[in-house]
Amino acid sequence: MKKLLMIALVGTMLFSCSDDENPSPNVSTPDTYTFERDGSLTVAFNGQTNRIMMAEELVDAMLDFSATKERLLEMYRNETASGGDASPFDNADLNAADQSIKGKVAASADYFSANTAESSQIKADFETWINAQVDEVFPNQNTVASPGAAGQLADGSKTRYVDAKGLVLNQVVAKSLIGALMADQMLNNYLSSEVLDADTKRNDNDNGVLEDGENYSTMEHNWDEAYGYIYGTAADKANPSQTIGQDDSFLNDYTGTVNNDNDFTGIAEDIFNAFTVGRAAIVAKAYDVRDQQADIIRENISKVIAIRAINYLQSAKIALPDDRSNESAYGGAFQNLSEGYGFIYSLRFTRMPDSDQPYFTKSEVDGFLTQLLTDGPNGFWDVKETTLDSISEAIAAKFDFTVAEAGS
Amino acid sequence: MIIHHLNTKTTSIILSMAMIFFIVACSTENEPKASTDNFDRQAMLVNWADNIIIPAYDNYVGKLTDLTNAKNDFIANRTLSNLEALKIAWLEAYIAWQSVSMFEIGKAEELSLRDFTNVFPTSKTAIEEHVNSGTYDLTLPSSRNQQGFPAIDYLLHGAAENQEMILERFETEENLRNYLNDLINRLADLSTAVLQDWEGGYRDEFVNNDGSTASSSVNKLVNDYMFYYERTLRAGKIGIPAGVFSNTPLSDRVEAFYRRDVSKTLFMASLNATIDFFNGQYYNGNGQGESLKSYLDFLNSITDGSDLSGLINDQFAKSKAKAENLGENFYTEVENNNAQMLQTYDELQANTILLKVDMFQALNIRVDYVDADGD
Repeated sequence: MKKLLMIALVGTMLFSCSDDENPSPNVSTPDTYTFERDGSLTVAFNGQTNRIMMAEELVDAMLDFSATKERLLEMYRNETASGGDASPFDNADLNAADQSIKGKVAASADYFSANTAESSQIKADFETWINAQVDEVFPNQNTVASPGAAGQLADGSKTRYVDAKGLVLNQVVAKSLIGALMADQMLNNYLSSEVLDADTKRNDNDNGVLEDGENYSTMEHNWDEAYGYIYGTAADKANPSQTIGQDDSFLNDYTGTVNNDNDFTGIAEDIFNAFTVGRAAIVAKAYDVRDQQADIIRENISKVIAIRAINYLQSAKIALPDDRSNESAYGGAFQNLSEGYGFIYSLRFTRMPDSDQPYFTKSEVDGFLTQLLTDGPNGFWDVKETTLDSISEAIAAKFDFTVAEAGS
Repeated sequence: MIIHHLNTKTTSIILSMAMIFFIVACSTENEPKASTDNFDRQAMLVNWADNIIIPAYDNYVGKLTDLTNAKNDFIANRTLSNLEALKIAWLEAYIAWQSVSMFEIGKAEELSLRDFTNVFPTSKTAIEEHVNSGTYDLTLPSSRNQQGFPAIDYLLHGAAENQEMILERFETEENLRNYLNDLINRLADLSTAVLQDWEGGYRDEFVNNDGSTASSSVNKLVNDYMFYYERTLRAGKIGIPAGVFSNTPLSDRVEAFYRRDVSKTLFMASLNATIDFFNGQYYNGNGQGESLKSYLDFLNSITDGSDLSGLINDQFAKSKAKAENLGENFYTEVENNNAQMLQTYDELQANTILLKVDMFQALNIRVDYVDADGD
């Protein structure tokens, strides 16, 4: 019985693999993400590169104890509190750019265009975390943290700064942006057929109608914008696989991390190939192929987020001190829990293939987050190993991998 | 013949039972695990405590007493010869430290002794801020890269361009003298607390906790030993400066960066201490007692058709031979001869696998720490 099941499984895998590699005889796929029209490149995603770099600066600045709340919030909004022009970034190009992080948080067409109430709540969550960092954590820079009190803790030779519940807030912000900004824009906006085919886009793409002053059709550009949320800061943007994992602190970073786990080797290549085939399919006007590739990307990016969520919960379990009364020994566990918290937050922005739904609803995600912080009065200080395991199991249950595979 | 045949059969039954046990143990992580062997773990713990750990701490605390005296002499009488004597005492204590650093258990673990003693690179900027303001709290975790041997290294060898100017700074800056005084006193206080704990009740507690659960002395100290080997020795002293974990070599991450010409001495002291612990070599004299080596020999662990303890000792010898070719100054080695640094790392890494995978499996010990992802 088991053997039969295995054969069936392997058969499916082989079938789906060969399926991916030969999507359609009339779509010619280049080895790199290089597409040209009349000898000029048609690929552009500067806005995505800018937002990744803005997020990098924000996450770093949250650990600059001289940073003001105004400046951090300006980095999030790229404007002043009253909506005026702001220059919060070290990188002048980002100050000049018209993008912002906040503008694209929880802002996908599929999930939030008719759900602005939730969108504004999610946008506000990030402001809450930024405010708490300045109001609660910064004043306690030179205090040792204890249950119910913000301050610093040792994590190996590193020092972590936590709020009263043990959250490392810049990690919460960083890992939550992976879902709320990068994955949401990619999976639920730019790869969405609602967006790619909106208005006259399909007709324009069919007839070679380009954007004003540009060398690309809007559909081509939208696909590239999805690509930019993972490869926007790659050393070689057309051939980013060589440095996957090294080019940012967000989706690129953790796609690389998951790919380095023997249980998931090849996932980075699957994602890159799907982007390239999908883009070639747009050139070839093969929209079914395009949408198949979008589903491959949705499934795999969602997996990256889920695997990291589980991995951090399982790492936290090992890092929790044997002696739970030893308050100085929680730093490593809290760092892992905070990263896990952000990845769980990001689950709400995942996307099941062949579906208009995330793997986990907002209320399921909120349930996990509440569980993590309510095993006792002091949040992470009281978290139980059984809670970490039950959340890990609940996440893995929706996917084709085990907690052990994701957790190692 | 018949007896031999029976023995083989029994062995394979025990082996499969051990295998089953191992699998079960994996799925229920928090259950205490009983050992399947009857090796005298307590005899090994006694050897570790009485012949290795306590004598090594005793020596280290003695060297810190010498360092404290040299510091007091220098602060009272700021001559070049007193500065030179202080530098010698610093190096002697720093070498002695290499023999106790791996024993981060009990009081040492509670105090985070290693991280308050030897985090490098040290923060020159933060140290100068402290010296300038005269206010600092050396008990904070964030102050770990502003104290210990690397910070003293900066004060004695890096606080100004040359020895005369350093002497001049100590002559004119009371805050600098106070900082030096506080750093050395803190090293002495921390290590004395650890030694007193061992000489008080902790030795018996350690020796009597001779089971094989995750919280037993053997399982914990073997994990501490492995963590030390992997992070502090392999990565900290060689891999990180050689650029194994970064895009480019980081020559400013070597141990004793300001002194420069002793990084090999410190590394060899650390490697030798690691080898001696594995073999149960007494800290003083030539005796040997029960050890990881004798435990592995007892279990007659076979890897690749050869005995595991032999493979590990061969690999230690290869690491040592490779390191012997390095110059005294790892800063210049990283800058000019990094291939040799990388080859040394590779030899150390080969033993990481033998120790952390094969030895842990043979001893049925679980790794209790996480590979940090460095962010």
